[in-house]
Amino acid sequence: MLQVQNIEKYYGSKNNVTKALDRVSFEVADGEFVAIMGASGSGKTTLLNCISTIDTVSAGDILLDGESIAELPSEKLAKFRREKLGFVFQDFNLLDTLTVEENIGLALTLNHTDPGAVRKQVQTIAARLGIADILGKFPYQVSGGQKQRAACARAMVAGQSLLLADEPTGALDSGASKNLLEIMTQMNQNMGATILMVTHDAYSASYAGRVLFLKDGRLFNELLRGERGRSVFYHEILDVLALLGG
Amino acid sequence: MSVTLSKLSLRNARRQAGNYLIYFVTVVMVCAMLYAFNCLVFSTEIHRLSGLLDNMVLMIVLASIAVVFVIGWLVSYTTGFMLSRRSRELGTYLLIGLENKEVARLFFLENLSVGGVALLLGIPLGNLVYQALRAILLAMFSAPYTFRYDFSLRSIGLTLLYFAVIYLFALLRSRKRIRKMKIYDLIYFERQNESEMVKKSRNRRLLFAASIVLGVTGTCLLITADNLLIGVTGAGCIIFFICSFFTSFSSGVPAFFERKPERKYRAQNLMIFRTLTGKLATMGIVMAAVSLLFTATLLTEGAGMVFNGIFQGRLERNAFDLLFVSDQESHTDLCREKMTEQFPLTAYRQYSLYPGGDDSIIDYMIETAGYQRYGFDHDFNECAMMTFSDYAALRDMLGLPEAELRPDRYIIHCMPYLEEPLRQWKEAILLDGKALLPGGIYTEQFAQNILNGNGHQFLLVVPDAYCAGRQPIRYCLAAMTEHSITSEQYEALQLSLEERAADGISIAVSYWDMLYSKSINVSRTAAWSAMSVFPLFYLALTLAMTAATVLTVQQLSEARHYHFQFELLRKLGMDPREMRRALFRQLAIYYLMPVIPPVLIAVPFILDLCGETEKGTLVGMNSPAVILAVSLGLFFLVYLVYTAVAYIGMRKNVLPE
Repeated sequence: MLQVQNIEKYYGSKNNVTKALDRVSFEVADGEFVAIMGASGSGKTTLLNCISTIDTVSAGDILLDGESIAELPSEKLAKFRREKLGFVFQDFNLLDTLTVEENIGLALTLNHTDPGAVRKQVQTIAARLGIADILGKFPYQVSGGQKQRAACARAMVAGQSLLLADEPTGALDSGASKNLLEIMTQMNQNMGATILMVTHDAYSASYAGRVLFLKDGRLFNELLRGERGRSVFYHEILDVLALLGG
Repeated sequence: MSVTLSKLSLRNARRQAGNYLIYFVTVVMVCAMLYAFNCLVFSTEIHRLSGLLDNMVLMIVLASIAVVFVIGWLVSYTTGFMLSRRSRELGTYLLIGLENKEVARLFFLENLSVGGVALLLGIPLGNLVYQALRAILLAMFSAPYTFRYDFSLRSIGLTLLYFAVIYLFALLRSRKRIRKMKIYDLIYFERQNESEMVKKSRNRRLLFAASIVLGVTGTCLLITADNLLIGVTGAGCIIFFICSFFTSFSSGVPAFFERKPERKYRAQNLMIFRTLTGKLATMGIVMAAVSLLFTATLLTEGAGMVFNGIFQGRLERNAFDLLFVSDQESHTDLCREKMTEQFPLTAYRQYSLYPGGDDSIIDYMIETAGYQRYGFDHDFNECAMMTFSDYAALRDMLGLPEAELRPDRYIIHCMPYLEEPLRQWKEAILLDGKALLPGGIYTEQFAQNILNGNGHQFLLVVPDAYCAGRQPIRYCLAAMTEHSITSEQYEALQLSLEERAADGISIAVSYWDMLYSKSINVSRTAAWSAMSVFPLFYLALTLAMTAATVLTVQQLSEARHYHFQFELLRKLGMDPREMRRALFRQLAIYYLMPVIPPVLIAVPFILDLCGETEKGTLVGMNSPAVILAVSLGLFFLVYLVYTAVAYIGMRKNVLPE
């Protein structure tokens, strides 16, 4: 589904160049749940921004469903984002003037879905994510965990093929984090969602099937969960992190 | 500490002027107008133009007091608004150890500095505005104008006084508020706002429905009103609609969309209406106040335009430099004697007006053209006749082309608005047993719209023979002078006629004796315009600027919030063109909403006011349609400037790059 091929990203001017990403390559298969880990400044968010077309690469290529993102003309980027990508941010990024239902429905509206069908689709996904009872509420009236589940629903409601999550548990307490991660696993396993999650939290990463480690902009290591239990995987992640020094 | 506070105040004042530039510009503009009108109040040059202008002082001072109230509200509202927006910053000052009274002083000094700078910029700018007003006034009085850049200390003093009232009132209120505030309230002020975001009570939804019903009812009543009671009821409904609509909008619209979700999710409806709903939930009352201010603006401006039209209409009434009309021939003889003594006349003609027979033509005009009789019962010259020889001589005196009249015909000379219906008038008039048929219509200015002029708005001109045996109803004297008559000359002529009256001759501008002077008419009209039209426009402009500033400040202060929204929409894949369209629609609806009710009130009001004036006065460039178009045009021109500033600012700060 996703192919990241030798991408590089530089910031700054001639005399002061910072290499945020250095020849990073990896692939994410359809239906995979991949976590990207690394210390602050390792290039995690830059990588996610490049994949999400919010930022551009300096070199290399990113292909989603065989289509090169770098070659997409700017006028097609918006369409690409709304049809293929779903986003979950650390600070939820829900619009406070819209109800939870409307926040989820917004993604469908942008996709020009038939207005009559919007409510039904929203209700279906909300029921699956356990937020059907808060659809009529405003973001300030619900908990952080509920907000993040609403963000997940928004990210998937329009049938997006790849869910990009940037520190989704960053603003949640441990209980809500666990709940969200279980929801994401459920989305991955039951709804077939492909998830790419950036996190610095080993516990969150342990829910993924594969973890990529970034250090100074380079892909440093890769861990596959395989058939191991989550707890074992968690400790393996911690070991790699210890090795990383972050 | 006090030095640090002063520096901080100044730095904040600079930042405030930048962040709230549109508000600052409005305050400077209002200061300029206050100063300019104060200069008119104290200008001896202007007062010398006409004694009537002494009344202008009172009118301008009254308008200025209203302006002080309106701007006082604006400053008070904006400082309160800034206070809430900067609550976290002010809370931080308290947190680092400043006392409430010191923070209050900081805020006070900061706003005082902004007011002071506005004053410093406004006064020189006001001088330019004054020069423009002076130029207009002098042109109205046909007096020479030369540009002069000077300052009036008394005007500066009065402007300072007005500003002190405006600022002290607003600042003392915020000072009191800050002194009472607790750190927690300041730091968590935004959180308190959050709970106010959307109000969903059932009562509010009912109020919203009621407001729509009242709005429609009020509009229908105003459009169909044929008496004062219905008009007032209609206006009352609209005012209630304004107040209730904006305060219940945030409940009513979501309720509407709840029932019709497919409409909610159509195109950009969701974003636009939810953003508006969120905004109106916190500023519904302000929006209602803004809408009422716009209503006042349009009514004031419309009244100003109607007065201007009436005065312009009056200007055109008297075609002759001098016209004397009496019911006594001896009076007219005396006037001729005095006139020829006192003025070098280029031409004059003494003539008579005769009764015009039956009133069937008047009944016809009432029916077809809305002609109005004089409002009192006497043998007035409503249907008056003139001999053709007098008519031809008067036309010659006015430099009009020659008219022709066949022996069996009569000419109608009327005001332009009567021309069309009278062209359809084919009836003969019977004089000395002979029938005369219509023989032409003329509509040039002919002193027909003044009390006791050449017929009341129309005149029949007949061959001389038909007037020979008739008793005149009016004895007239029309004259053209070599130079314009000054007010002193006009008064001297009146006085000399009155002196003769004292000698025992029954004369001198008695009840039916009228003396008109074209130049005096011009000067009086100019004075009336200056007294009424100037203050009304001054007030209207201030009201419009104040209301538009409140809307724009509200909108621009949300830039960061909207930027977050649009940034998110970009990430979610909204097309940049769609984003621009959504922002444009959002702003268009936001700016249109508060002007629709005022337009609904103002249009029938202005047209009704035009209808109250004497028929035929408001014609041509002063016709009701033109008055309405100019009133709305001027208002929307000012409004458009603010809307454009908001749109440009929002596009720059809100839309992602």
